[in-house]
Amino acid sequence: MARTALITGASSGLGAEYARQLAARGTDLVLVARDEDALRELAGSLVAEYGVGVEVLAADLLVSSELERVAQRLTDPRHPVDMLVNNAGFGLPLAFDRNDIDDEVRHLELLVEVPMRLMHAALGQMLQRGSGRIVNIASVAGFIPRSTYGACKGWLISFSRWANGRYARRGVTVTAVCPGFTHTSFHERMGLQPGQEGVAQWMWLDARDVVAESLRDIARGKAVSVPSLRYRAIVAVTRVVPARLLSRAGARGRR
Amino acid sequence: MARTALITGASSGLGAEYARQLAARGTDLVLVSPERDALVELAAQLGASFGVEVDVLVADLLVKRERAQVVRRLSDPARPVDLLVNSAGFGVHLHFDRNDIDDEVRHLKLHVEVPMRLTHAALGPMLERGSGRIVNVASVAGFVPFSTYGACKGWLISFSEWANGRYSARGVTVTAVCPGFTRTRFHERMGLPRREMGLPRWMWLDAREVVRGSLRDIARGRSRSVPTLRYKLAVALSRVVPSRIVGSITGGRQ
Repeated sequence: MARTALITGASSGLGAEYARQLAARGTDLVLVARDEDALRELAGSLVAEYGVGVEVLAADLLVSSELERVAQRLTDPRHPVDMLVNNAGFGLPLAFDRNDIDDEVRHLELLVEVPMRLMHAALGQMLQRGSGRIVNIASVAGFIPRSTYGACKGWLISFSRWANGRYARRGVTVTAVCPGFTHTSFHERMGLQPGQEGVAQWMWLDARDVVAESLRDIARGKAVSVPSLRYRAIVAVTRVVPARLLSRAGARGRR
Repeated sequence: MARTALITGASSGLGAEYARQLAARGTDLVLVSPERDALVELAAQLGASFGVEVDVLVADLLVKRERAQVVRRLSDPARPVDLLVNSAGFGVHLHFDRNDIDDEVRHLKLHVEVPMRLTHAALGPMLERGSGRIVNVASVAGFVPFSTYGACKGWLISFSEWANGRYSARGVTVTAVCPGFTRTRFHERMGLPRREMGLPRWMWLDAREVVRGSLRDIARGRSRSVPTLRYKLAVALSRVVPSRIVGSITGGRQ
C-alpha cells in the first residue's frame, strides 16, 4: 500500500508489529523510538527477512530538537514518506489528582501535541503529491470517559474524522485505529503484571490481529478502525449508553 | 453557590458574563486575563454594582511564570477558591494544513494543557475541603468533528465527564459547558465577519442565556451542560447521525 512508512514508537508493541507487517508487504520503513539498540535489532531482522530498506531514527519525541529531526524527515522531498503511523505513547495511573502534573503534561504532549505536529509536517508533502496515509493509534478508551488518556485518544479520533473528511478528496486519508486491551508491554510498563490488570480474558486482543485488521481499514481510507467484532459491538453500545455509566466502565485496567 | 470564583478569560465574552452573574449572586471574584485595562474596568464596575470583592490577576496563561501565579492563587490555603471557571480560549482557522503549527500548538495548550493544569491545582485543596466546583467552557463543537478546535473541546467534555464521575462523591463536581454559536468577540477576533457568518439567526445565542442556563447545571453538579433546548436537540441528533455525515458537513466548510 505504501512505499515508505514512518512509524513512531516502533521499538515494541503495536509499532513493532506495524513495522513487521508493512515490511512483509514490501514497504520501506523509517523506524522512530528512543531505544536505538532495539530499533537496530528490529531493522536488522526486517532487512534480512523481507529485503526492504529500513532507516533507524533514534529520537525522544518529547525533546524538541529530536522531534524536529523527525518532522524534517517527513518533509524531505527527495525521500517522500507515504504513510505516517503515530503510535508512540504511554499510560499513567487513573488517579489524576495524585499524578504529578508534569507527567500529565508529558502524556498530553506525546499523545496529542506530537501526533499533531507530525501530521502537520507530513500533510503538506502528501497533499502536494495528492496521496498519503496518516494513521493515529488511538484506543477504544477514546469513546468512553477515562481520565486524561481517554480524553487524549478522543482528541485523535475526533481530529482524524474531521481530517479524513476534509483531505480524503485530495488523496490523503487519516485513520484513527482504536484497539481494545492488547497484549503488548504497555500495561507492564505501568507496573501492572500480566494477568493482574483486572480485565477479562476475552477482552484481550493480539497485536497481530489488531494490526492486520487495521491495515485493511487504512487501505480503504476509513476514518475510524476498531479491530475485532467484540470491540466494534462495545463501541456501538457507547453511542447509546449514558456517559455517566460509561465512566464507571472506564475505570478498568488501571489503578 | 460559591464564595470565591476564579475565572480565566474574564475580560470579555463568556468569561466576563460569568463574572457579572456570579457577582450578582454575591460571589467574590478573581479575574484572570492578559488584558489589564479591561479587567480593571470590569472589576471596578462589579465592585460598585454588587459590593463583592474583586481581585485582578493580569496573566498570559501561555507564559509559564504568569501561569504559575494563577496556579499559586488556586492552591493558596489562606484564600480558598470554591469555583474555577476555565474560560480562556481563541479560535484558529479550519484549514489545519495551512495554519502555522506554532499557532496550533498554542491553541492546544490554551484549550487543553492550561485547563488541565489549573484543574489539577484547584482539585487538591477542593478535595481536602470536600467541596468545590470546576467548570470547563467547552463547545457543542466538541461533539462533532471540527478540526483541532472540536478535538480540544471534546477533550474537555470527555475529561469533565470522567472527573465528575470520580470526584463528585468527594464533594467536587466538574462540568463541561457546551455553548453553541454565541455572540461574543470570539469570531471577530478570528477575523470572521461580525454579523451572523451566514448562519440562521436562531443558531446564535446570547452570552447571558448561556451563562444563566449553565449556572443551573453547575449548581446541580451535572458533568455537562448544553444551554438552550435547540442545542440540546442538536447534540442529541449528533449522536444518532453517522459521524461520516457530520464530518462531511463540518469538514467541508472553510
